[in-house]
Amino acid sequence: MDTNANTKADTVSAPLVEQNGFARIPRWLFWSLLTIVLWGAWGLVSKVASAGVDAYVNQLLYTAGLAPLMIFVAWTVHKQRSGETSQARAQGVFWAFLTGILGGVGNIFFFQALVKGGKASVVAPVTALFPMITVLLALIFLKERLGRVQWIGLMLAFVAIYLLSE
Amino acid sequence: MHVWLGFAVLALVLWGITGVTQKLSTNRITSERSFLWFCWAMVALSGAVLFIAHPHWGLGRVVVLCSIAGGALNGLGAWTSFRALESGGKASIVISLVSLYPLLTVILAILLLRERLTLVQTAGALTAIAAAILLSMEAPHQPEA
Repeated sequence: MDTNANTKADTVSAPLVEQNGFARIPRWLFWSLLTIVLWGAWGLVSKVASAGVDAYVNQLLYTAGLAPLMIFVAWTVHKQRSGETSQARAQGVFWAFLTGILGGVGNIFFFQALVKGGKASVVAPVTALFPMITVLLALIFLKERLGRVQWIGLMLAFVAIYLLSE
Repeated sequence: MHVWLGFAVLALVLWGITGVTQKLSTNRITSERSFLWFCWAMVALSGAVLFIAHPHWGLGRVVVLCSIAGGALNGLGAWTSFRALESGGKASIVISLVSLYPLLTVILAILLLRERLTLVQTAGALTAIAAAILLSMEAPHQPEA
C-alpha cells in the first residue's frame, strides 16, 4: 500500500474524455482503468525484481521510483491554498506520515513474500484483501456498521485465504 | 503455512491499518498533502533501511529497473486513483473498480512469467478478487438508532 484511494469526491455527471473524436469515456473511468493498469503492472515488475533484489534494497529503489511523482505533487501542493487550521494540518500530517511508514513496511513484507517464492498471481490477490482489515478495524474501533455486501466480502476473504494457503 | 503467505498476510494487515490512518489524514488535510507526507515517510523509512540493512550493490540492471518501476507504478496508481475520484467518479464505484487490479497481475504473470496455478489456487485468487471488490463497496448510509 499501500497508497490506496480514499473517499473524496462522489458527485454529479462526469466530464468526458474525447480521444481524436473516436471514443468518449467518462474521465473518472479513464483514470480508474489507468489505475488498474499501473497497479496490475506493479505486481508483475515486483515479481521480476524479487529474483535479484532483497526486500530492503527494493524499498530503497522503490522510493527512488516514487521521487519524481513526489516532486510533482510537492509542486502542486506548494501552489495550493487550503483552509486547513494548523492543528488539523498537524494531525493530518501525523496520520499521513504513519500511513507512509505502515505502507512502506507493508511493501517490504509484500516483496519478501515474492522473494520467498510466492507467485505474483497469488500474492497480489492475497494482499489486495487488505480492505478486510480496514473493515474489521472500522467495525471494532469506529463502531461503523457493515452492509450485507461487506459481510459477504469479509467471509469470501477468509475463504480465499484458506484456499490460497492449501 | 507457507512462509510467503505469512509475509503476504503481514502486508495485508499493515495495508489494512493504513485504510484507517489514511482516512484520518484526509479528513483533516487535502489528499495531495496527505500523499506528499506519505512519500516523506517512505523516504524516512528508506533512510532507516539504509542504516540498518547494509544493502549490497552490484545488482542486475533489469531487476534494478523493475524495482524503481515498482515505486513509480504504485505511486502513479495512487495518484490516478485520486484523479478518478476528483473527476466525478463515485467512490463506491471507483474503489471497487480499481480493486480489480490483481486480476491484471494474475493475467500478466500467467502470460509473461509463465506462472501456473492449481485449480484451488485459481479459485482462491478469483475469490480474493471478488472479496476485495465487495469489501471496497461503500455500506449504505444507516441512520443511527
